[in-house]
Amino acid sequence: MNLLQYLPGNSVLHRLNPVTKLAAAFLVGICAIVSHSVVFTISLIILLLGICTACGLGKRALRLTRSLLVLGGMMFVFQLFFVRSGDPLLSAGGFTFVTRDGLSSAVLLGLRIVATMLPLMLLFAITEMNDLCGALVKRLHVPYRYAFIVTTAFRFVPLFTSEFHDIEDAQKARGVEYDGGIIKKLKLSVPLFVPLMMSSLKKVDAGAMSAQLRGFNLRTVSSGYREYPFTAADIGCILFSLLLVGAAAVL
Amino acid sequence: MLRFEDVSFRYPHSDSSVEHLSFHIQKGEFVALIGSNGAGKSTISRLSNGLLKPDSGTVYLDGTPTTSIRTSQIARKAGFLFQNPDRQICQNTVREELAFGLRLMGLPEQEIRERTREAIEQFSLDGDWFPFSRSRGERQRIALASVLVCRPQLVILDEPTTGLDYRECTAIMDYLTRLNREEGLTVLMVSHDMELVSQYAGRVLVLTGGQLIGDGATHDVMRDQPLLGRAHVLPAQIPALALKLDAGAKQPQFEDVFTVEEMFETICRLRKEMSATAGKGEVLS
Amino acid sequence: MIRFQDFSFRYPAGGSQQPAEFALKDINLEIRDGEFVGITGTSGAGKSTLTYSVSGLVPHHFAGDFYGSVEVNGMDTVEVHPEQLAKFVGQVFQDIDSQMVSSIAEDEILFGMENFQVPRDEITRRLETVLEMLGIASLRRRQISSLSGGQKQKVAIASILALQPDIILLDEPTGELDPESTIMIYEILRRLNQEFHKTVIVVEQKIMVLCAYVSRLIVLDKGQVMFDAPARRITDEIELFQSLGINVPRVVELGQMLKKAGLYAGEIPTELDGAEKMVREVCADAAV
Repeated sequence: MNLLQYLPGNSVLHRLNPVTKLAAAFLVGICAIVSHSVVFTISLIILLLGICTACGLGKRALRLTRSLLVLGGMMFVFQLFFVRSGDPLLSAGGFTFVTRDGLSSAVLLGLRIVATMLPLMLLFAITEMNDLCGALVKRLHVPYRYAFIVTTAFRFVPLFTSEFHDIEDAQKARGVEYDGGIIKKLKLSVPLFVPLMMSSLKKVDAGAMSAQLRGFNLRTVSSGYREYPFTAADIGCILFSLLLVGAAAVL
Repeated sequence: MLRFEDVSFRYPHSDSSVEHLSFHIQKGEFVALIGSNGAGKSTISRLSNGLLKPDSGTVYLDGTPTTSIRTSQIARKAGFLFQNPDRQICQNTVREELAFGLRLMGLPEQEIRERTREAIEQFSLDGDWFPFSRSRGERQRIALASVLVCRPQLVILDEPTTGLDYRECTAIMDYLTRLNREEGLTVLMVSHDMELVSQYAGRVLVLTGGQLIGDGATHDVMRDQPLLGRAHVLPAQIPALALKLDAGAKQPQFEDVFTVEEMFETICRLRKEMSATAGKGEVLS
Repeated sequence: MIRFQDFSFRYPAGGSQQPAEFALKDINLEIRDGEFVGITGTSGAGKSTLTYSVSGLVPHHFAGDFYGSVEVNGMDTVEVHPEQLAKFVGQVFQDIDSQMVSSIAEDEILFGMENFQVPRDEITRRLETVLEMLGIASLRRRQISSLSGGQKQKVAIASILALQPDIILLDEPTGELDPESTIMIYEILRRLNQEFHKTVIVVEQKIMVLCAYVSRLIVLDKGQVMFDAPARRITDEIELFQSLGINVPRVVELGQMLKKAGLYAGEIPTELDGAEKMVREVCADAAV
């Protein structure tokens, strides 16, 4: 299952303006970066999980948190051993392994990773790419061409993953063994890029032709059929996010 | 050769599944697996070559459960031709492509060269071709050659003729038939083209909604219109015509009619009988 | 109205290779409004190229050596952009998945109308109309990736119809569909042709489907037109079809055998009912 995949739904979060979602994800990310308080960052993550659960996205949010914790954990370990200032916490044979500063900054960094990435990944879970594209063009006047390219790239990700998966299956059926180490797997995957490239090029070309014949080049900012109005919920969401940023800066 | 024993499988995050499948394909059979899209045909073919492992029940390939051997070992016994040859082809020349599978089997270079040369000749290919710039039919032929060059005992074909024109399709099917007859190659073909099935397969497995609803000689299955209807497939023309002609007849005359030639012969025979018994009532009511 | 005049086209040779063969050669064809045309032939016969020539992708997307002329509704395809032609010609491509530009069915249908600046209430009206025409109103909010092949194809056709073209081109629309969905798609094409007077041009391998649905069949081989007549006339040219590697329905083969044996003199049928009649006639004949 793709972590960037859209989850259809009709919750309050789903119904927000895509621009609001983008801004809120961004602001919450800033919160996590600005704040130096471990307690605040933890509360922020719990708050995010709470909101998601209330909107029926709890499962996805927990899965995301879990996979982000792995990344956060790796950063934690790095930071733990790299920061050398502060009182030693763990030392042996005259060599200090872990310092107090190291521990606290490692904890914070690990949590920050989770708290910045989580809202961004949630953005993909609750925002339909076409809506994001449409709203960016309509409300922020992003040139359609660029918005289209970015959203199409995201839309193609699952197509390519499934294509790659099928190619891998075809190769397995021929007797290629993938169940070795990561190096072996990488080495064996190289020849697969040829068929993947070939089929991708064909797909992209077909997509381009189909878009061209349906007037892609004639499109202007005002072309979009859907309107993306800002509602009270949007304003509330932005205000709340700003409040969080304020809180993060103070705490 | 291939035996399914009460096999069930369900894809995660999806409704599609196969349930309680049991069948046994003997060595040297030419079996077709028919059903509409989403009936579970591809799932069965993937279970057969170990790409999928059953949730319950056992798939035996040549007597060994697929769960107890590696996919690469299965690959030596069972060749697999995908619907889309582009997923299979991964080398820059036809020669390399054919040698690829043989190298994976760890054969000596001398033998690889020998077998590759033979296969190139048999399939009227050119060893220097860049596979990706060939036509769809040629790519399918290259993919098939690269499967058969490994001399599997069983070959599984997933909609082998999609995107091929009639001539290319006939060429591939005729070649498989020859290997089947002369060398006892077991063939399992997934298809919804009943003309193809009625022409080539000896036995048909009928699948709908993940369940096996029919298993019998091609003759019998083709004449079982309610069964084909349940599987949402259209019967081949000549068997359907035979059925139409026999409908409501006191004595069915076209029961064993299957091909154009058989239909023609039966008509000639009937005409003879009728002119002999002319005036004594109609044979064909 | 589409008119090919002495039209030939050749794709450019890659690198230092010799120039490629002509994909289409000396094509002279006229397709009138309201026709239902089937195009068949072996792979590499030039079928797809022919559709590209009508929609203007040849020569605007695929450059190459272009001889003669192709006119669509009086416009020379070399002189106008494919976008301008798109108001008159809609094309559904072979690869169902990659021609989609959206992830939601409804958005896919909106895409073209938005681009062509169709007024808002007109968009709403057309959207409802095409959804209803193809019977896919219930799918409008569905993710395209969750649809079956047949449903996707309907969405693709709807997204073309929303632009209200006179001519609809389809390149093997049922290549990956099962027989039931194939018939469903052809029933739709028949309706578009008969009720809505669209010109339908379809590339198809399945000869039985062509016999059952199209009014005119064009057979290409190595870039040239080898046969151009009503589909039921294939019974006159069975040898030609066989020599080109195109199969004919089994009942046509049977008819030909009976005819050769001097047992049957009538018109050779292409479908089952006609075949039944033929066989009964041949048998009854002997009883007299």
